[in-house]
Amino acid sequence: MQPLKQFWVAEALEKDLGDPGNPESMMSFKQVIDLDEKEEFPQEIIDWLYNWKLQHYYIPTECGGEFTRFDEFISFVRVLSRRDQTAGIAFTTMFWSYLVWMAGTDEQKQILSSFMKDANGTMCLAYSEKAHGSDLLGGDMQATKVDGGYILNGEKWPINRATRSGVAFVLARTDPDGGPRSLSLFMVEKSKINPDNFSNLPKILTHGIRGSDMSGICFDNCFIPESMRLGAEGMGLELALKGFQITRALCAAFSQGAADTALRTTLKFAIERKLYGKTVFDMPQPRRTLTDAFLDILICDCSTFGVGRGFSTMPEQISVWSAVVKYFVTTTLETVVNNVSVVLGSRFYMREAHDWGIFQKVLRDNSIISMFDGSSVVNLHALLLQLRQLTKSRARNAGKNLEALEARLATTFDLTQNLPAFNGKKLELVNRGGDDVLQGLDLALASLEKLKTDSNLNPDTLYQIITLTDIVREELNNLDVKITESTFQFGHEQDPELFDMAKQYCILHAAAACVYTWIYNRNHLGEFFANGEWLALSLRRLMSNLRPATSLPGRIDDSCVVQEMIRLYNEDRMFSIVPFQLAKSQLQETTTDATPKLQLQT
Amino acid sequence: MNSIDTIQGWLVNQIAKQLGIKAETIKVTEPLTRYGLDSIDSVTIVGDMEDWLGAELPSTLLWDYPTIEKAAKYLVDEAGVSPAETATAEPVAVTSKPKEEATQGKGWGGLWNKISGS
Repeated sequence: MQPLKQFWVAEALEKDLGDPGNPESMMSFKQVIDLDEKEEFPQEIIDWLYNWKLQHYYIPTECGGEFTRFDEFISFVRVLSRRDQTAGIAFTTMFWSYLVWMAGTDEQKQILSSFMKDANGTMCLAYSEKAHGSDLLGGDMQATKVDGGYILNGEKWPINRATRSGVAFVLARTDPDGGPRSLSLFMVEKSKINPDNFSNLPKILTHGIRGSDMSGICFDNCFIPESMRLGAEGMGLELALKGFQITRALCAAFSQGAADTALRTTLKFAIERKLYGKTVFDMPQPRRTLTDAFLDILICDCSTFGVGRGFSTMPEQISVWSAVVKYFVTTTLETVVNNVSVVLGSRFYMREAHDWGIFQKVLRDNSIISMFDGSSVVNLHALLLQLRQLTKSRARNAGKNLEALEARLATTFDLTQNLPAFNGKKLELVNRGGDDVLQGLDLALASLEKLKTDSNLNPDTLYQIITLTDIVREELNNLDVKITESTFQFGHEQDPELFDMAKQYCILHAAAACVYTWIYNRNHLGEFFANGEWLALSLRRLMSNLRPATSLPGRIDDSCVVQEMIRLYNEDRMFSIVPFQLAKSQLQETTTDATPKLQLQT
Repeated sequence: MNSIDTIQGWLVNQIAKQLGIKAETIKVTEPLTRYGLDSIDSVTIVGDMEDWLGAELPSTLLWDYPTIEKAAKYLVDEAGVSPAETATAEPVAVTSKPKEEATQGKGWGGLWNKISGS
């Protein structure tokens, strides 16, 4: 069994779902493609997941469920998403329940918990409006105070699971004068309001996730009792923004599941397909494309695990971390899917020719992830507004409280360490106390220097890791200078240059997360992980976004990364720094005979 | 000049500078949103105030006290913040007179420069 407990649920779920390549198994590629072709909601899958009691893992233990930590959550959402993002996203809308776990009364928590567990209930998020998009404060939905409650009037759109949800989290204006305290959040239980006063808009036809229950909700003089308000009146925007910090970080799990399938099915094609007397995989260019995709997945893994655990260890910094991950991981993995499509050739565009056409479905479905819960632009904007403060706090904190910083980094990145319980009340609208991940680069470099005495490490690899980490630090210093010199602006007409700076910040953040992940897990994630070639190659890959390749150390031999990728493929393990066990593939057994040869050649 | 005036002056100046408008056009009794400062901007500006005052402030300060006048009053009367002791970089609890030199600058620009040291 997997030694790390946070992967047990994911492995158990995988085992019970079975091989997605077997048409008979639940959430098989064939099944999800058939549903997608019909644009049909995956009800049978959702029912199966409820029956499995997966919904319990969306409810914290103190509220009567099984949820304890975000890294566990991320892992099983990857499992759902590698099979079908339509069902994965549909089921995971339940995570909006975190609004109630954070801000609800005991009674509200009780109502929601039993609604999810005993009534197989789900919820949806009714924030945006057709005319206002991401401008939540510009919304027209009114909640007018009356005796004992409010009268809701207005329309919310677009909403995933609008019609099938029993609870809608509705953001509405309680103060007609406007301003950041003008919104309140309501947990509207549909069974308790008059059905004559609300209705659904027609289903929206979408590019991907076609079976989604996607539409809108319209309220017409709809009375809701005061007991449905979450938190105090005027808390709506604050709760919404804090809720987004959680869900944005978790969106990374959807992308990672999708990227896993995109790589896996392409690898399968490349290993089996023969051209010019060789397999596609034997050709250097496709092999490099796939290897780089694998590296990108490992890079994103470090960021995603980092933020997942960071919720418990440094919640006051999550406003920055979650914006970084929501931007960086989702867009990087979107690029991964696009990049590997080249290896599939025309197959990537066909809906029948390879693995039931799962690739084209992944490509379509996955393109929504960087858009929903706050688009890339929204996340970069949230980040660029904080850059100046982050730069100042980095200068202010330099060299101070190093032991405490190191302890926080160790707990966050060492996957074997226990995590303190997450306290949603510690989330802050803007980062407080600086950003540990970039603050710790000097510590990381000091730790790396000490490894020079470790005879198990290849000195060339370590040299690369140290050199490239030093480049990360230099580029961070360069960025700090640029930020300090930039003219700070308010409003929504920011310079594109500031967006570029925010993107650079994300890249440096991701690089630092990779370095800590390696430093703190070298002794317990296996030989491939410990040897560190993947890290040297990943850092080089990240820094090539900021510097010309000629000014970076040359690319080291990647054959061990190729071998690891093939091993994980053959053994049906997740493409990850923690390659937990996936359902055993029956069809793949026929290909294993061919792959030892491949391993030797690489 | 008292602490409330000093904080008001700093905020007027800071917002004028950030928004590129003249300090004279900003009224301390108007909601800040009237000047194009949106909800997230007014959260991030609190970070600058924290640096200047050397005190930890609620990030929603300007949401709950949406005019310069209300925010300054809250800081001095309820949070016990005094801008004069910023040099110590410690949270301050006692109200005292601002530094003499701070009052000499003509207009808020000179004041801000002296206090913030930038």
